Amino acid sequence: MLRDNETFSSESIRAGMAAVMGPYPLVGMDEPDHRRLRSLVAQAFRQKTLAHLEDDLVVPVVDEMIDTFIDRGHAELVRELTYRYPVQVIAVILGLPRDDYEQFHHWASAIISVGARPMEGIAASRDLRGYLERVLEDRRARPRDDLVSELAASELDGERLGDEEIFSFLRLLLPAGAETTYRATGNLLFGLLDDPRQLDAVRADRSLLTAAVEEAIRWEPPLLITSRVALHDTEVAGTAIPAGAQVIPNIGSANRDERRWDHAEDFDLFREAKPVISFGVGPHMCLGTHLARMEMRAAVNRLLDRCPKLAFDPESRERDDPHIHGETFRSPTQLPVRFAVAA
Amino acid sequence: MLRIEIDATKCMGSGNCSFWAPGTFDLGDDGVAFVKDDAGDDDDKIVLAAQGCPTQAIAVWRGDERVV
Repeated sequence: MLRDNETFSSESIRAGMAAVMGPYPLVGMDEPDHRRLRSLVAQAFRQKTLAHLEDDLVVPVVDEMIDTFIDRGHAELVRELTYRYPVQVIAVILGLPRDDYEQFHHWASAIISVGARPMEGIAASRDLRGYLERVLEDRRARPRDDLVSELAASELDGERLGDEEIFSFLRLLLPAGAETTYRATGNLLFGLLDDPRQLDAVRADRSLLTAAVEEAIRWEPPLLITSRVALHDTEVAGTAIPAGAQVIPNIGSANRDERRWDHAEDFDLFREAKPVISFGVGPHMCLGTHLARMEMRAAVNRLLDRCPKLAFDPESRERDDPHIHGETFRSPTQLPVRFAVAA
Repeated sequence: MLRIEIDATKCMGSGNCSFWAPGTFDLGDDGVAFVKDDAGDDDDKIVLAAQGCPTQAIAVWRGDERVV
């Protein structure tokens, strides 16, 4: 279904998002516009383009957040790290000035929470658009080495991105790039902290992190469902689907299909490697797969480097019952941890 | 020994193949995947990479038998 974009349209996603994301959110576009726009922005998200970002950009962002609790010997990692760092990574990729990070984070939070508080989300989206207009104007006049400059200059077959397309894409980065990554990092940490044997294994051999990331997004994908509308009468696994019907593929269920995975309910980074569907599949497959994996790896790597004996805080665990929660989006309610403080 | 074919018109440049089998696949500057070494990874890695292709742009053959 996700591969067949001629039968199943993504247009309904665009309709639902237009108020916050503007008229051109990639995730809700069909062909040929989708392919054209995606080709123009894809360059910035290739594995090779990202290679230098881990050390130059993501690790410093994570380190700065760890600095704020490293001397304390305990932390609540959702509030103090996982919720914050992906937004800041996006701010750095966009090339925003440091003084604007706080404001950017505020807008990002409001836009991410638009489902719960629509008016605030829409107001934040409008303000952010005004802000990005000034940034784009500046980068058109004085290009730099950042994503906004790159988008402003990107060209395919002599065609440039329009301003509206750029604003839509930049705003989409918040729910698409920040929310999913913060939730996925939380789920990865929860899986590891909940099983000290696997956490010890990763601590001792960091090359296991690649498998741990894949297993975390299989076990608890940050986003459980997506949405399509049938453009003509069709059939899925023997069920008739009339034209115009909305269809909701359940990614979370596919990831725990017992015909494909043994003991599918368990987080087990040592299981046999197989592709998962958490990033979607088909023409709309997540553009940020490589960035997301790299951010998750970097965050856990730095925590394990800098926080010896990292473990769930037993008292807080007993009292607050942290658990992975949510129906559409899933991530831990809290991640209370303790660790050794360097003398 | 596997034979690998990439349909450039289907490839969307996700980089999924070079994630699963980095010794075998790479993305060109045009954003289209190509085979840099058809024995750059173990066969099972190459098969995983092809199976995971989001647009089914990769065909893999063993002799006359189509594997993916």
